[in-house]
Amino acid sequence: MNKPAEAVRSPASTAPLEIRFGQVGLAQVRIRTTDPGAILDELTGRVATAPQFFERTAVCLDLSALEKEPDVAEVRAVMDAVRRAGMLAVGLAHGTAAVDALARALDVPVLTYFRPQNRPPPVLQPADPQELAVPTLMHHTPVRSGQRVYARHRDLVVTSTVGAGAEVIADGCVHVYGAVRGRAVAGARGDVTARVFCQEFYAELVSVAGVYRVFETIPAELAGKPVQAWLSGDDLHVARIGS
Amino acid sequence: MTEIIVVTSGKGGVGKTTTSASLACGIARRGKRVAVIDFDIGLRNLDLIMGCERRVVYDFVNVIQGDCTLKQALIKDKRIDTLYVLAASQTRDKDALTQEGVRRVLDELTADGFDYIICDSPAGIEKGAHLAMYFADRAVVVVNPEVSSVRDSDRILGLLASKTLRAEQGNGGVKEHLLLTRYSPKRVASGEMMSVDDVKEILGLDVIGVVPESQDVLTASNAGTPVILNEQSDAAQAYEDAVARLLGESKPLRFIEEPKKGFFARMFGG
Ligand SMILES: Nc1ncnc2c1ncn2[C@@H]1O[C@H](COP(=O)(O)OP(=O)(O)OP(=O)(O)O)[C@@H](O)[C@H]1O
Ligand SMILES: [Mg+2]
Repeated sequence: MNKPAEAVRSPASTAPLEIRFGQVGLAQVRIRTTDPGAILDELTGRVATAPQFFERTAVCLDLSALEKEPDVAEVRAVMDAVRRAGMLAVGLAHGTAAVDALARALDVPVLTYFRPQNRPPPVLQPADPQELAVPTLMHHTPVRSGQRVYARHRDLVVTSTVGAGAEVIADGCVHVYGAVRGRAVAGARGDVTARVFCQEFYAELVSVAGVYRVFETIPAELAGKPVQAWLSGDDLHVARIGS
Repeated sequence: MTEIIVVTSGKGGVGKTTTSASLACGIARRGKRVAVIDFDIGLRNLDLIMGCERRVVYDFVNVIQGDCTLKQALIKDKRIDTLYVLAASQTRDKDALTQEGVRRVLDELTADGFDYIICDSPAGIEKGAHLAMYFADRAVVVVNPEVSSVRDSDRILGLLASKTLRAEQGNGGVKEHLLLTRYSPKRVASGEMMSVDDVKEILGLDVIGVVPESQDVLTASNAGTPVILNEQSDAAQAYEDAVARLLGESKPLRFIEEPKKGFFARMFGG
Protein backbone atom coordinates (compact mmCIF):
# COMPACT_ATOMS: atom_id res chain seq x y z
CA MET A 1 0.00 0.00 0.00
CA ASN A 2 2.63 2.51 1.04
CA LYS A 3 3.98 3.36 -2.35
CA PRO A 4 6.64 6.04 -2.52
CA ALA A 5 5.29 9.33 -3.81
CA GLU A 6 7.52 9.17 -6.89
CA ALA A 7 5.67 6.15 -8.22
CA VAL A 8 2.61 8.24 -9.03
CA ARG A 9 4.41 11.17 -10.59
CA SER A 10 4.85 11.45 -14.31
CA PRO A 11 8.44 12.08 -15.43
CA ALA A 12 7.47 15.37 -17.08
CA SER A 13 6.28 16.90 -13.83
CA THR A 14 9.51 16.03 -12.03
CA ALA A 15 11.74 17.80 -14.56
CA PRO A 16 13.17 20.91 -12.90
CA LEU A 17 12.03 23.17 -15.72
CA GLU A 18 10.22 23.53 -18.98
CA ILE A 19 11.17 25.71 -21.93
CA ARG A 20 8.65 27.29 -24.23
CA PHE A 21 8.96 29.79 -27.00
CA GLY A 22 6.12 32.11 -27.77
CA GLN A 23 4.94 35.62 -28.33
CA VAL A 24 5.26 37.85 -25.33
CA GLY A 25 4.03 41.37 -24.88
CA LEU A 26 6.82 43.93 -24.93
CA ALA A 27 6.73 47.67 -24.97
CA GLN A 28 9.35 49.21 -27.19
CA VAL A 29 10.82 52.37 -25.80
CA ARG A 30 12.80 54.34 -28.34
CA ILE A 31 14.93 56.90 -26.55
CA ARG A 32 16.13 60.12 -28.08
CA THR A 33 18.26 61.01 -25.11
CA THR A 34 20.27 59.08 -22.55
CA ASP A 35 19.49 61.64 -19.85
CA PRO A 36 18.05 59.43 -17.11
CA GLY A 37 16.20 62.34 -15.49
CA ALA A 38 14.36 63.25 -18.67
CA ILE A 39 13.50 59.60 -19.29
CA LEU A 40 12.30 59.07 -15.74
CA ASP A 41 10.06 62.15 -15.89
CA GLU A 42 8.50 61.23 -19.20
CA LEU A 43 7.95 57.55 -18.39
CA THR A 44 6.58 58.22 -14.92
CA GLY A 45 3.98 60.45 -16.48
CA ARG A 46 3.01 57.86 -19.05
CA VAL A 47 2.83 55.04 -16.54
CA ALA A 48 0.56 57.14 -14.35
CA THR A 49 -1.92 57.63 -17.19
CA ALA A 50 -2.45 53.90 -17.67
CA PRO A 51 -1.03 51.98 -14.71
CA GLN A 52 -2.68 48.63 -15.47
CA PHE A 53 -1.20 48.73 -18.92
CA PHE A 54 2.31 49.87 -18.10
CA GLU A 55 3.13 48.80 -14.59
CA ARG A 56 5.86 46.16 -14.57
CA THR A 57 5.59 45.87 -18.33
CA ALA A 58 8.63 44.36 -20.02
CA VAL A 59 10.44 46.98 -22.03
CA CYS A 60 12.72 46.60 -25.00
CA LEU A 61 15.05 49.59 -25.26
CA ASP A 62 15.52 50.86 -28.78
CA LEU A 63 18.73 52.88 -29.12
CA SER A 64 18.43 53.55 -32.85
CA ALA A 65 17.21 57.14 -32.49
CA LEU A 66 20.19 58.30 -30.46
CA GLU A 67 22.58 60.71 -32.16
CA LYS A 68 25.67 58.88 -31.00
CA GLU A 69 26.24 55.40 -29.68
CA PRO A 70 25.89 55.34 -25.89
CA ASP A 71 28.35 53.58 -23.59
CA VAL A 72 27.55 50.84 -21.10
CA ALA A 73 27.25 53.20 -18.14
CA GLU A 74 24.78 55.43 -19.97
CA VAL A 75 22.56 52.54 -21.00
CA ARG A 76 22.68 51.13 -17.51
CA ALA A 77 21.53 54.49 -16.13
CA VAL A 78 18.67 54.54 -18.64
CA MET A 79 17.61 51.03 -17.65
CA ASP A 80 17.58 52.12 -14.01
CA ALA A 81 15.42 55.10 -14.89
CA VAL A 82 12.98 52.81 -16.70
CA ARG A 83 12.83 50.59 -13.66
CA ARG A 84 12.25 53.49 -11.32
CA ALA A 85 9.37 54.60 -13.54
CA GLY A 86 7.74 51.24 -12.87
CA MET A 87 8.55 49.37 -16.07
CA LEU A 88 11.24 46.72 -16.51
CA ALA A 89 13.87 46.98 -19.24
CA VAL A 90 14.59 43.41 -20.28
CA GLY A 91 16.65 43.84 -23.41
CA LEU A 92 17.89 45.98 -26.26
CA ALA A 93 16.25 46.23 -29.64
CA HIS A 94 18.19 44.69 -32.47
CA GLY A 95 20.46 47.20 -34.16
CA THR A 96 24.12 47.64 -34.95
CA ALA A 97 27.07 45.54 -33.84
CA ALA A 98 27.58 48.15 -31.11
CA VAL A 99 24.16 47.23 -29.71
CA ASP A 100 25.22 43.58 -29.61
CA ALA A 101 28.35 44.53 -27.69
CA LEU A 102 26.36 46.68 -25.25
CA ALA A 103 23.87 43.88 -24.69
CA ARG A 104 26.67 41.45 -23.92
CA ALA A 105 28.29 43.90 -21.52
CA LEU A 106 24.95 44.48 -19.76
CA ASP A 107 24.07 40.79 -19.80
CA VAL A 108 20.69 41.34 -21.48
CA PRO A 109 19.28 39.84 -24.69
CA VAL A 110 19.01 41.52 -28.06
CA LEU A 111 15.39 41.40 -29.17
CA THR A 112 14.53 41.47 -32.83
CA TYR A 113 10.79 41.98 -33.01
CA PHE A 114 10.07 45.68 -33.27
CA ARG A 115 8.99 48.33 -35.65
CA PRO A 116 11.75 50.17 -37.45
CA GLN A 117 10.85 53.73 -38.27
CA ASN A 118 13.71 55.94 -39.25
CA ARG A 119 15.55 53.31 -41.24
CA PRO A 120 14.47 51.68 -44.48
CA PRO A 121 12.51 48.59 -43.46
CA PRO A 122 12.80 46.24 -46.40
CA VAL A 123 12.08 42.99 -44.58
CA LEU A 124 9.17 44.24 -42.57
CA GLN A 125 7.56 46.16 -45.43
CA PRO A 126 3.95 45.24 -44.77
CA ALA A 127 2.74 45.86 -48.28
CA ASP A 128 4.66 42.83 -49.50
CA PRO A 129 1.95 40.92 -51.40
CA GLN A 130 3.64 37.59 -50.70
CA GLU A 131 3.20 38.10 -46.99
CA LEU A 132 -0.42 39.16 -47.13
CA ALA A 133 -1.40 36.35 -49.48
CA VAL A 134 -1.89 34.14 -46.41
CA PRO A 135 -5.59 33.59 -45.74
CA THR A 136 -7.26 35.53 -42.95
CA LEU A 137 -7.08 33.94 -39.53
CA MET A 138 -10.62 33.08 -38.44
CA HIS A 139 -11.48 32.68 -34.78
CA HIS A 140 -14.99 31.60 -33.87
CA THR A 141 -14.95 31.16 -30.10
CA PRO A 142 -14.82 33.83 -27.39
CA VAL A 143 -11.35 35.17 -26.69
CA ARG A 144 -11.32 35.01 -22.89
CA SER A 145 -9.50 37.13 -20.36
CA GLY A 146 -5.82 36.20 -20.37
CA GLN A 147 -5.93 34.72 -23.86
CA ARG A 148 -4.22 36.17 -26.89
CA VAL A 149 -4.92 35.48 -30.54
CA TYR A 150 -2.27 36.63 -33.01
CA ALA A 151 -2.61 36.63 -36.78
CA ARG A 152 0.90 36.67 -38.20
CA HIS A 153 1.33 38.35 -41.57
CA ARG A 154 -2.42 38.57 -42.05
CA ASP A 155 -5.80 39.85 -40.99
CA LEU A 156 -7.74 38.49 -38.06
CA VAL A 157 -11.49 37.94 -38.00
CA VAL A 158 -13.15 37.12 -34.69
CA THR A 159 -16.80 36.16 -34.90
CA SER A 160 -17.26 36.15 -31.14
CA THR A 161 -16.38 38.40 -28.23
CA VAL A 162 -13.04 39.59 -26.87
CA GLY A 163 -13.20 39.67 -23.08
CA ALA A 164 -11.67 42.24 -20.76
CA GLY A 165 -7.99 41.39 -20.35
CA ALA A 166 -7.90 39.43 -23.62
CA GLU A 167 -5.87 40.51 -26.66
CA VAL A 168 -6.46 40.20 -30.38
CA ILE A 169 -3.47 41.10 -32.51
CA ALA A 170 -2.83 41.06 -36.24
CA ASP A 171 -0.07 42.19 -38.55
CA GLY A 172 -2.94 43.25 -40.80
CA CYS A 173 -6.42 44.43 -39.79
CA VAL A 174 -8.44 43.21 -36.84
CA HIS A 175 -12.18 42.65 -37.36
CA VAL A 176 -14.37 41.65 -34.45
CA TYR A 177 -18.01 40.82 -35.06
CA GLY A 178 -18.92 41.06 -31.42
CA ALA A 179 -18.04 43.05 -28.34
CA VAL A 180 -14.43 44.01 -27.61
CA ARG A 181 -13.70 44.60 -23.93
CA GLY A 182 -10.02 43.78 -24.09
CA ARG A 183 -7.28 45.02 -26.39
CA ALA A 184 -7.25 45.15 -30.16
CA VAL A 185 -3.95 45.65 -31.94
CA ALA A 186 -3.69 46.02 -35.73
CA GLY A 187 -0.54 46.48 -37.80
CA ALA A 188 1.55 44.80 -35.14
CA ARG A 189 4.58 44.84 -37.44
CA GLY A 190 4.17 48.42 -38.41
CA ASP A 191 1.58 48.50 -41.19
CA VAL A 192 0.26 52.02 -40.74
CA THR A 193 -2.67 51.35 -43.09
CA ALA A 194 -4.05 48.55 -40.92
CA ARG A 195 -7.28 49.21 -39.03
CA VAL A 196 -9.30 47.85 -36.16
CA PHE A 197 -12.99 47.26 -36.72
CA CYS A 198 -15.37 46.10 -34.05
CA GLN A 199 -19.07 45.71 -33.74
CA GLU A 200 -19.50 46.69 -30.08
CA PHE A 201 -16.82 48.91 -28.67
CA TYR A 202 -15.84 48.69 -25.00
CA ALA A 203 -12.11 48.17 -25.60
CA GLU A 204 -9.55 49.04 -22.94
CA LEU A 205 -6.87 49.65 -25.54
CA VAL A 206 -6.72 50.02 -29.31
CA SER A 207 -3.50 50.25 -31.27
CA VAL A 208 -2.44 50.57 -34.89
CA ALA A 209 1.22 50.20 -35.86
CA GLY A 210 2.35 50.84 -32.31
CA VAL A 211 0.30 54.00 -31.78
CA TYR A 212 -2.21 53.25 -29.07
CA ARG A 213 -5.06 54.74 -27.10
CA VAL A 214 -6.06 53.55 -23.66
CA PHE A 215 -9.68 53.91 -22.63
CA GLU A 216 -9.92 54.28 -18.89
CA THR A 217 -13.49 55.35 -19.44
CA ILE A 218 -15.10 54.72 -22.75
CA PRO A 219 -16.43 57.86 -24.43
CA ALA A 220 -20.18 57.69 -24.03
CA GLU A 221 -20.83 58.24 -27.71
CA LEU A 222 -18.69 55.21 -28.60
CA ALA A 223 -19.71 52.73 -25.92
CA GLY A 224 -21.27 49.64 -27.43
CA LYS A 225 -21.22 51.15 -30.93
CA PRO A 226 -19.66 49.79 -34.11
CA VAL A 227 -16.30 51.50 -34.28
CA GLN A 228 -13.17 51.62 -36.40
CA ALA A 229 -9.70 52.85 -35.53
CA TRP A 230 -7.10 54.05 -38.01
CA LEU A 231 -3.92 56.05 -38.17
CA SER A 232 -3.67 59.43 -39.74
CA GLY A 233 -0.10 60.62 -39.42
CA ASP A 234 0.82 59.96 -35.82
CA ASP A 235 -2.74 60.26 -34.57
CA LEU A 236 -4.93 57.30 -33.85
CA HIS A 237 -8.53 58.05 -34.68
CA VAL A 238 -11.37 56.10 -33.19
CA ALA A 239 -14.83 56.74 -34.57
CA ARG A 240 -18.21 55.22 -35.19
CA ILE A 241 -18.72 53.34 -38.40
CA GLY A 242 -21.71 54.50 -40.40
CA SER A 243 -23.89 57.42 -39.36
CA MET B 1 -21.59 6.59 -17.65
CA THR B 2 -19.92 8.77 -15.07
CA GLU B 3 -19.99 12.53 -15.48
CA ILE B 4 -17.29 14.62 -13.90
CA ILE B 5 -18.43 18.13 -13.04
CA VAL B 6 -16.00 20.78 -11.81
CA VAL B 7 -17.30 23.70 -9.77
CA THR B 8 -14.86 26.53 -10.37
CA SER B 9 -14.59 30.33 -10.45
CA GLY B 10 -11.12 31.83 -10.49
CA LYS B 11 -12.01 34.34 -7.79
CA GLY B 12 -12.10 33.16 -4.21
CA GLY B 13 -15.05 33.17 -1.85
CA VAL B 14 -17.76 33.39 -4.49
CA GLY B 15 -19.62 30.26 -3.36
CA LYS B 16 -17.95 27.25 -5.00
CA THR B 17 -18.01 25.04 -1.93
CA THR B 18 -21.55 26.08 -1.03
CA THR B 19 -22.55 25.23 -4.60
CA SER B 20 -20.65 21.93 -4.75
CA ALA B 21 -22.32 20.74 -1.55
CA SER B 22 -25.82 21.72 -2.63
CA LEU B 23 -25.52 20.37 -6.18
CA ALA B 24 -24.11 17.09 -4.84
CA CYS B 25 -26.99 16.72 -2.36
CA GLY B 26 -29.58 17.72 -4.94
CA ILE B 27 -28.36 15.25 -7.54
CA ALA B 28 -27.93 12.43 -5.02
CA ARG B 29 -31.42 13.06 -3.65
CA ARG B 30 -32.70 12.08 -7.07
CA GLY B 31 -31.23 8.64 -6.63
CA LYS B 32 -27.94 9.15 -8.46
CA ARG B 33 -24.69 7.97 -6.92
CA VAL B 34 -22.60 11.04 -6.29
CA ALA B 35 -19.09 11.61 -4.97
CA VAL B 36 -18.06 15.15 -4.10
CA ILE B 37 -14.33 15.84 -3.82
CA ASP B 38 -12.60 18.75 -2.09
CA PHE B 39 -9.62 19.85 -4.23
CA ASP B 40 -8.75 22.71 -1.87
CA ILE B 41 -5.74 20.99 -0.30
CA GLY B 42 -4.59 22.81 2.80
CA LEU B 43 -7.86 24.73 3.21
CA ARG B 44 -10.31 21.93 3.67
CA ASN B 45 -13.81 23.23 3.86
CA LEU B 46 -16.25 20.97 2.09
CA ASP B 47 -16.41 18.51 5.00
CA LEU B 48 -17.57 21.35 7.27
CA ILE B 49 -20.31 22.45 4.89
CA MET B 50 -21.36 18.82 4.46
CA GLY B 51 -21.30 18.33 8.24
CA CYS B 52 -18.94 15.36 8.22
CA GLU B 53 -15.76 16.98 9.54
CA ARG B 54 -15.64 14.72 12.58
CA ARG B 55 -15.70 11.62 10.43
CA VAL B 56 -12.67 12.46 8.28
CA VAL B 57 -10.02 9.82 8.93
CA TYR B 58 -8.34 9.60 5.55
CA ASP B 59 -8.40 12.23 2.84
CA PHE B 60 -7.83 12.72 -0.91
CA VAL B 61 -4.04 13.02 -0.49
CA ASN B 62 -3.89 9.81 1.57
CA VAL B 63 -5.62 7.98 -1.27
CA ILE B 64 -3.31 9.44 -3.89
CA GLN B 65 -0.23 8.55 -1.87
CA GLY B 66 -1.47 5.04 -1.21
CA ASP B 67 -1.83 5.38 2.58
CA CYS B 68 -5.34 3.95 2.39
CA THR B 69 -7.87 2.68 -0.12
CA LEU B 70 -10.43 4.92 -1.76
CA LYS B 71 -13.19 3.01 0.05
CA GLN B 72 -11.61 3.85 3.40
CA ALA B 73 -11.46 7.54 2.58
CA LEU B 74 -14.96 7.99 1.12
CA ILE B 75 -17.34 9.30 3.78
CA LYS B 76 -20.92 8.20 3.34
CA ASP B 77 -23.43 10.98 3.95
CA LYS B 78 -25.81 10.36 6.87
CA ARG B 79 -28.80 11.94 5.18
CA ILE B 80 -28.62 10.69 1.60
CA ASP B 81 -27.32 7.18 1.12
CA THR B 82 -26.10 7.62 -2.47
CA LEU B 83 -23.85 10.53 -1.50
CA TYR B 84 -20.14 10.31 -0.60
CA VAL B 85 -17.58 12.94 0.36
CA LEU B 86 -13.84 12.80 -0.23
CA ALA B 87 -12.26 15.41 2.04
CA ALA B 88 -9.13 17.46 1.38
CA SER B 89 -6.08 17.29 3.55
CA GLN B 90 -5.65 20.19 5.94
CA THR B 91 -1.99 19.49 6.65
CA ARG B 92 -0.48 18.88 3.23
CA ASP B 93 0.24 21.48 0.61
CA LYS B 94 -1.24 21.52 -2.83
CA ASP B 95 1.82 19.89 -4.39
CA ALA B 96 0.64 16.62 -2.88
CA LEU B 97 -1.90 16.41 -5.72
CA THR B 98 -0.58 14.98 -8.98
CA GLN B 99 -2.34 14.61 -12.28
CA GLU B 100 -1.66 10.88 -12.28
CA GLY B 101 -2.99 10.51 -8.75
CA VAL B 102 -6.14 12.47 -9.53
CA ARG B 103 -6.68 10.37 -12.64
CA ARG B 104 -6.43 7.14 -10.65
CA VAL B 105 -8.97 8.29 -8.07
CA LEU B 106 -11.43 9.45 -10.76
CA ASP B 107 -10.95 6.21 -12.69
CA GLU B 108 -11.64 4.17 -9.60
CA LEU B 109 -14.82 6.12 -8.82
CA THR B 110 -15.90 5.63 -12.42
CA ALA B 111 -15.23 1.89 -12.26
CA ASP B 112 -17.16 1.80 -9.01
CA GLY B 113 -20.27 3.01 -10.86
CA PHE B 114 -20.67 6.55 -9.56
CA ASP B 115 -23.03 8.56 -11.76
CA TYR B 116 -21.58 11.97 -10.92
CA ILE B 117 -18.30 13.19 -9.52
CA ILE B 118 -18.37 16.80 -8.34
CA CYS B 119 -14.98 18.48 -8.01
CA ASP B 120 -14.93 21.49 -5.68
CA SER B 121 -12.08 23.61 -7.05
CA PRO B 122 -9.86 25.89 -5.01
CA ALA B 123 -9.76 29.56 -6.01
CA GLY B 124 -7.10 30.85 -8.39
CA ILE B 125 -5.70 29.44 -11.58
CA GLU B 126 -2.82 27.50 -10.09
CA LYS B 127 -2.19 23.79 -9.90
CA GLY B 128 -5.11 22.86 -7.63
CA ALA B 129 -7.65 24.64 -9.82
CA HIS B 130 -6.04 23.19 -12.90
CA LEU B 131 -6.22 19.62 -11.58
CA ALA B 132 -9.82 20.08 -10.46
CA MET B 133 -10.88 21.00 -13.98
CA TYR B 134 -8.51 18.84 -16.01
CA PHE B 135 -10.62 15.68 -16.27
CA ALA B 136 -14.03 17.40 -16.23
CA ASP B 137 -16.82 16.71 -18.69
CA ARG B 138 -18.79 19.72 -17.53
CA ALA B 139 -18.03 22.86 -15.60
CA VAL B 140 -20.22 24.96 -13.37
CA VAL B 141 -18.58 28.39 -13.29
CA VAL B 142 -19.72 30.17 -10.15
CA VAL B 143 -19.86 33.92 -10.51
CA ASN B 144 -20.98 36.81 -8.31
CA PRO B 145 -22.60 39.69 -10.17
CA GLU B 146 -19.64 42.04 -9.92
CA VAL B 147 -16.87 43.05 -12.29
CA SER B 148 -13.88 41.24 -10.79
CA SER B 149 -15.72 37.96 -10.41
CA VAL B 150 -16.97 38.15 -13.99
CA ARG B 151 -13.48 38.91 -15.23
CA ASP B 152 -12.02 35.92 -13.37
CA SER B 153 -14.76 33.68 -14.72
CA ASP B 154 -13.86 34.77 -18.21
CA ARG B 155 -10.27 33.75 -17.48
CA ILE B 156 -11.40 30.37 -16.14
CA LEU B 157 -13.57 29.81 -19.20
CA GLY B 158 -10.49 30.40 -21.32
CA LEU B 159 -8.61 27.74 -19.36
CA LEU B 160 -11.53 25.32 -19.60
CA ALA B 161 -11.39 25.79 -23.36
CA SER B 162 -7.66 25.12 -23.57
CA LYS B 163 -6.14 23.43 -20.53
CA THR B 164 -8.42 20.44 -20.02
CA LEU B 165 -8.22 16.87 -21.27
CA ARG B 166 -11.34 17.35 -23.36
CA ALA B 167 -9.94 20.49 -24.95
CA GLU B 168 -6.65 18.74 -25.68
CA GLN B 169 -8.45 15.82 -27.26
CA GLY B 170 -10.54 18.24 -29.29
CA ASN B 171 -13.77 16.31 -28.74
CA GLY B 172 -16.10 19.22 -28.16
CA GLY B 173 -14.39 20.46 -25.00
CA VAL B 174 -15.88 20.84 -21.56
CA LYS B 175 -19.56 21.78 -21.45
CA GLU B 176 -19.78 25.10 -19.63
CA HIS B 177 -22.54 26.39 -17.36
CA LEU B 178 -22.81 29.65 -15.50
CA LEU B 179 -24.22 29.85 -11.99
CA LEU B 180 -24.78 33.26 -10.45
CA THR B 181 -24.74 33.41 -6.67
CA ARG B 182 -25.27 36.07 -4.01
CA TYR B 183 -27.69 37.75 -6.40
CA SER B 184 -29.61 40.65 -4.98
CA PRO B 185 -32.43 41.89 -7.23
CA LYS B 186 -32.71 45.00 -5.09
CA ARG B 187 -29.09 45.95 -5.64
CA VAL B 188 -29.42 45.18 -9.33
CA ALA B 189 -32.42 47.50 -9.53
CA SER B 190 -30.47 50.28 -7.83
CA GLY B 191 -27.60 49.81 -10.26
CA GLU B 192 -25.10 48.64 -7.64
CA MET B 193 -24.90 45.12 -8.99
CA MET B 194 -24.71 43.61 -12.46
CA SER B 195 -27.85 41.95 -13.75
CA VAL B 196 -28.23 38.36 -14.97
CA ASP B 197 -28.40 39.71 -18.51
CA ASP B 198 -25.22 41.78 -18.11
CA VAL B 199 -23.28 38.74 -16.92
CA LYS B 200 -24.76 36.49 -19.61
CA GLU B 201 -23.85 38.97 -22.28
CA ILE B 202 -20.28 39.55 -21.14
CA LEU B 203 -19.50 35.87 -20.74
CA GLY B 204 -21.58 34.72 -23.69
CA LEU B 205 -23.07 31.79 -21.80
CA ASP B 206 -26.48 30.81 -20.52
CA VAL B 207 -27.04 30.58 -16.80
CA ILE B 208 -27.96 27.31 -15.15
CA GLY B 209 -29.04 28.97 -11.96
CA VAL B 210 -29.32 32.22 -10.06
CA VAL B 211 -28.99 31.84 -6.29
CA PRO B 212 -30.11 34.85 -4.29
CA GLU B 213 -28.06 36.40 -1.50
CA SER B 214 -29.44 34.68 1.56
CA GLN B 215 -28.81 34.58 5.28
CA ASP B 216 -29.79 30.89 5.15
CA VAL B 217 -26.46 30.03 3.50
CA LEU B 218 -24.43 31.04 6.52
CA THR B 219 -26.86 29.36 8.90
CA ALA B 220 -26.65 26.19 6.82
CA SER B 221 -22.85 26.26 6.77
CA ASN B 222 -22.69 26.66 10.52
CA ALA B 223 -25.05 23.74 10.96
CA GLY B 224 -23.19 21.53 8.49
CA THR B 225 -26.35 21.09 6.44
CA PRO B 226 -26.04 22.07 2.77
CA VAL B 227 -28.49 24.90 2.18
CA ILE B 228 -30.41 22.95 -0.48
CA LEU B 229 -31.78 20.75 2.32
CA ASN B 230 -33.54 23.74 3.93
CA GLU B 231 -36.67 23.55 1.77
CA GLN B 232 -38.06 26.87 3.06
CA SER B 233 -35.14 28.84 1.75
CA ASP B 234 -35.08 30.74 -1.55
CA ALA B 235 -31.46 29.68 -1.95
CA ALA B 236 -32.47 26.02 -1.60
CA GLN B 237 -35.17 26.37 -4.24
CA ALA B 238 -32.76 28.12 -6.57
CA TYR B 239 -30.20 25.33 -6.14
CA GLU B 240 -32.92 22.73 -6.69
CA ASP B 241 -33.79 24.46 -9.98
CA ALA B 242 -30.11 24.45 -10.96
CA VAL B 243 -29.93 20.71 -10.27
CA ALA B 244 -32.96 20.14 -12.48
CA ARG B 245 -31.43 22.17 -15.31
CA LEU B 246 -28.10 20.40 -14.90
CA LEU B 247 -29.95 17.11 -15.38
CA GLY B 248 -31.58 18.42 -18.53
CA GLU B 249 -34.94 19.80 -17.37
CA SER B 250 -35.94 23.29 -18.38
CA LYS B 251 -37.20 25.68 -15.74
CA PRO B 252 -37.79 29.42 -15.78
CA LEU B 253 -35.38 31.50 -13.67
CA ARG B 254 -36.71 32.57 -10.27
CA PHE B 255 -35.57 35.08 -7.67
CA ILE B 256 -34.21 37.50 -10.24
CA GLU B 257 -36.77 40.21 -9.64
CA GLU B 258 -37.63 42.21 -6.60
CA PRO B 259 -40.66 40.85 -4.77
CA LYS B 260 -43.87 42.26 -6.28
CA LYS B 261 -44.92 45.61 -4.98
CA GLY B 262 -48.16 46.08 -3.12
CA PHE B 263 -51.40 47.19 -4.71
CA PHE B 264 -50.98 50.90 -4.09
CA ALA B 265 -47.46 50.99 -5.34
CA ARG B 266 -48.61 49.32 -8.53
CA MET B 267 -51.60 51.65 -8.92
CA PHE B 268 -49.54 54.75 -8.57
CA GLY B 269 -46.41 53.47 -10.25
CA GLY B 270 -44.30 54.11 -7.09
N1 LIG C 1 -26.11 32.77 -1.79
C1 LIG C 1 -25.36 33.22 -0.77
N2 LIG C 1 -25.86 34.15 0.10
C2 LIG C 1 -25.11 34.61 1.12
N3 LIG C 1 -23.88 34.20 1.40
C3 LIG C 1 -23.31 33.28 0.59
C4 LIG C 1 -24.02 32.74 -0.53
N4 LIG C 1 -23.22 31.83 -1.13
C5 LIG C 1 -22.07 31.81 -0.43
N5 LIG C 1 -22.11 32.67 0.60
C6 LIG C 1 -21.06 32.92 1.61
O1 LIG C 1 -19.86 33.27 0.93
C7 LIG C 1 -18.75 32.75 1.62
C8 LIG C 1 -17.90 31.94 0.66
O2 LIG C 1 -18.61 30.78 0.24
P1 LIG C 1 -17.87 29.46 -0.22
O3 LIG C 1 -16.95 28.97 0.85
O4 LIG C 1 -18.88 28.53 -0.74
O5 LIG C 1 -17.01 30.07 -1.40
P2 LIG C 1 -15.80 29.40 -2.19
O6 LIG C 1 -15.89 29.94 -3.57
O7 LIG C 1 -15.81 27.93 -2.03
O8 LIG C 1 -14.56 30.01 -1.43
P3 LIG C 1 -13.01 29.59 -1.63
O9 LIG C 1 -12.58 30.27 -2.88
O10 LIG C 1 -12.35 30.13 -0.42
O11 LIG C 1 -12.98 28.10 -1.73
C9 LIG C 1 -19.28 31.94 2.78
O12 LIG C 1 -19.20 32.72 3.93
C10 LIG C 1 -20.71 31.67 2.40
O13 LIG C 1 -21.52 31.54 3.54
MG1 LIG D 1 -14.21 26.59 -1.36
